[in-house]
Amino acid sequence: MAEEEGVKEGDKKIVHIYPLVKHSDMKEEMRHEVVELVVGMCEKFSSNYETCARMIKDTMDKKFGIYWHVVVGEGFGFEVSYETENILYLFFGGNMAIVLWKCS
Amino acid sequence: MQSAKAKDKKKNRQSKAKGEGGGGGDADDFDAWMKSRQLVKPDDQLDLTDAELAEEVTKVLTPTNTNVLRNLVVYNFKLGEFVLAPIPGNTVTLISFPGNSLHVDSEEARFQVEECEEIGYPLPMPNYAVVEQRETVMEGEEEGEGEDDEKDDGGAKPAADAGEEEEAEEEEEEEGKTEGEQATEGEPAGDDDEQTGARPVVPVSGKKKKLINQFNYCERATLTYVNPRRNVDTQTIPPPRSQFGANVLQWTIYDSYNEDYAEQQKAGAVAARRPTAKQNFKKKTAYAEQLNRKYLRCWQILERMINQNIFDDISNDYRYWEDPADEYRDGEGNLLPLWKFQYEKTKKMNVTELTFNPSYYDLFAVCYGSHDFLKQHNEGYLCLFTVKNPAYPDYIIQTDCGVMCCDIHPNYPFLVVLGLYDGNVCVYDLRDGCKAPMYVSRGVKCKHAECVWQIKWGPDMADGEINFYSVSSDGCVFSWILMQNKLWVTTMITLYIENDIADGPDGTKVTLRTGGSCVQFHPTNTTVYLVGTEIGLIYKCSTLFSSKYLMTYDAHNMSVYRIDYNRFDTNIFVSCSGDWRVKVWEDMRPDPLFIFDLGSAVGDVKWAPYSSTVFAAVTTEGKVHVFDLNVNKYQPICVQAVVPKRKNKLTRLAFNEKLPFIIVGDEKGVTTSLKLSPNLRLMVKPPKKQLYLDQLTLQNAKLEKLLSLVRELPEGAQAPDAATTVNT
Repeated sequence: MAEEEGVKEGDKKIVHIYPLVKHSDMKEEMRHEVVELVVGMCEKFSSNYETCARMIKDTMDKKFGIYWHVVVGEGFGFEVSYETENILYLFFGGNMAIVLWKCS
Repeated sequence: MQSAKAKDKKKNRQSKAKGEGGGGGDADDFDAWMKSRQLVKPDDQLDLTDAELAEEVTKVLTPTNTNVLRNLVVYNFKLGEFVLAPIPGNTVTLISFPGNSLHVDSEEARFQVEECEEIGYPLPMPNYAVVEQRETVMEGEEEGEGEDDEKDDGGAKPAADAGEEEEAEEEEEEEGKTEGEQATEGEPAGDDDEQTGARPVVPVSGKKKKLINQFNYCERATLTYVNPRRNVDTQTIPPPRSQFGANVLQWTIYDSYNEDYAEQQKAGAVAARRPTAKQNFKKKTAYAEQLNRKYLRCWQILERMINQNIFDDISNDYRYWEDPADEYRDGEGNLLPLWKFQYEKTKKMNVTELTFNPSYYDLFAVCYGSHDFLKQHNEGYLCLFTVKNPAYPDYIIQTDCGVMCCDIHPNYPFLVVLGLYDGNVCVYDLRDGCKAPMYVSRGVKCKHAECVWQIKWGPDMADGEINFYSVSSDGCVFSWILMQNKLWVTTMITLYIENDIADGPDGTKVTLRTGGSCVQFHPTNTTVYLVGTEIGLIYKCSTLFSSKYLMTYDAHNMSVYRIDYNRFDTNIFVSCSGDWRVKVWEDMRPDPLFIFDLGSAVGDVKWAPYSSTVFAAVTTEGKVHVFDLNVNKYQPICVQAVVPKRKNKLTRLAFNEKLPFIIVGDEKGVTTSLKLSPNLRLMVKPPKKQLYLDQLTLQNAKLEKLLSLVRELPEGAQAPDAATTVNT
């Protein structure tokens, strides 16, 4: 019984790698697009968070105007001020957290 | 007193003037003017006595202004005491404005003139030309006074003046520098105070120049307005900002994933539940429908059983009754009425068409509409009855206007095409139910302009497309093709009357056309068809071309109601008309072979499917006439009134293809089925020597034998071989 549970829990950990938007005030369309972008980038540059963040930032700057800031990491704290409707805070891959916001 | 005197004088003067004739008028006028002056004095003027008036009042004028304050003190902060303020002078300046000209005699003028001489070119002098023209006046006397005046005036502001003068000097210097030595001479000229008067007056020679006050000189020029400058600035509202902060830790990630997952599970469960409910509902309805259908089927069977029980005797008659009396009646037969088919909603409508289903011999279609132009209903029906259930139609199709004709497709017995009174046609698929047509003609151009009189399915096209033909009062025969999603219509032929051209408006010629009233296709040669018209002509046409008729039969004097080809010999056809006559024709023969007068308008005529010489016709008298040409070439072998003569009329008739009965429709929406007695369906007995011959050959032979009697063959011509006309 206990073993089963353990297996179950292990399964759960593996299962939850989908992008989970923890906080966002973006418009629906924009959020979908950004999540897609972030997921793509994270998968592409899973080994290097710096490149990942840079690529996300560059793409976001091109798509939604400049002054984007991106943080990719596994453990950090942040307190940011951003232009309203321009923040996305999501988890991905089970252990990654990505924050991106726009502020000039 | 004075005025009176004046009046007198005036009168005198006037008389004088009259008398003298205008001499010395001037002096008199002046006098009059003086005299007529009235002294105006104020009302409250004192009246002084002469003595008072004579008194002398002495007035002393002194140069001292008595009104001037002489003891005015001001506090002197420097001395810390009050001191007397300086007494203002006697001069009162009322107006003062600086001019741009100098008095020619003034000191300044003198200097300026000198300057001009020295420099060699004129100083700025705007009105130079004007000055030139001026006379030289007392140039010699000049100066002195002007200078003094200036000094007096400028008492309060000598320093300022000095400053201005210096400026002027500088300007002059600059100007003069180019001149070299003379400039040095020009310099001292600026120290006017010292040299006043000392300098010799430069005599102005010839030219007179205007002198300009150099210290208050304005060149005449115009300046455009300098647009005032303004500073305008706005500030946009900065985009709103928000704050957000969080801590990313592995366990927060894990927890939020778990949380979200749980929620998703929940939502999924709810979502999963809903469709099942829907599906359940769908299933239930489908099940209910199935059940209903099952029930309906059961009920239909039950209904049929009940009907069969009720009409047991009729059913027996229908199958087994053969009138024994026929044996004793020589060649004559009779009709045995069986069921009557009617539908509640069509009781007041006419039966406009009767057609047996080609596949199910017991099923037939009845169209309900109206032949009366004035009594058109706003609805029409097509009912499919079966003889198994005379009480209620199996299928009911309702339309917006009267159904005038219909046809059931020979290959697809579920396809029914209807022609409506308003010129529309529609196709129903009986398998899909009778609610909505599968195809319906739409638009003004895609329909007949008038009532559709007959409609016939055509053989399928080369590429398998189903098509039908319709004929209408508007004189057109249309061909309709059932495309994937629409009806495609083309005009087959327009029924123009040959050689009948009427005068139209404006001298144009209009080819008249006649309305078609019926159409019948050749059973074997599918490109050939006959069209009956409202003027009594029958045109033989081809689907291959529409420009001309293959043949025109001058058949009747009134509208041709129906045409029918013989089932055995396709060269023979029969037609009926409103002119009471039924005529039997042979192909390409302009004259009829047989003519029968039935005593009233003949609504329908049909060849029997079982015999080559039997046909039946219905009349408006309510009678059915059955002919067997083999038995009697002149008289019908059976005349039977089916409906009352005055109240009702028979409209249409149809032979059952398999069983020996016919159905006739009347004007009250009732369809009556009649069994043909044995005499009416006599088969040909093969001769004893030729027992092997089948019925078809015998029937053809029978007809041929009959026709050979009737045909008046021109000499030498051979009767066409009857056998060749039938494709077996």
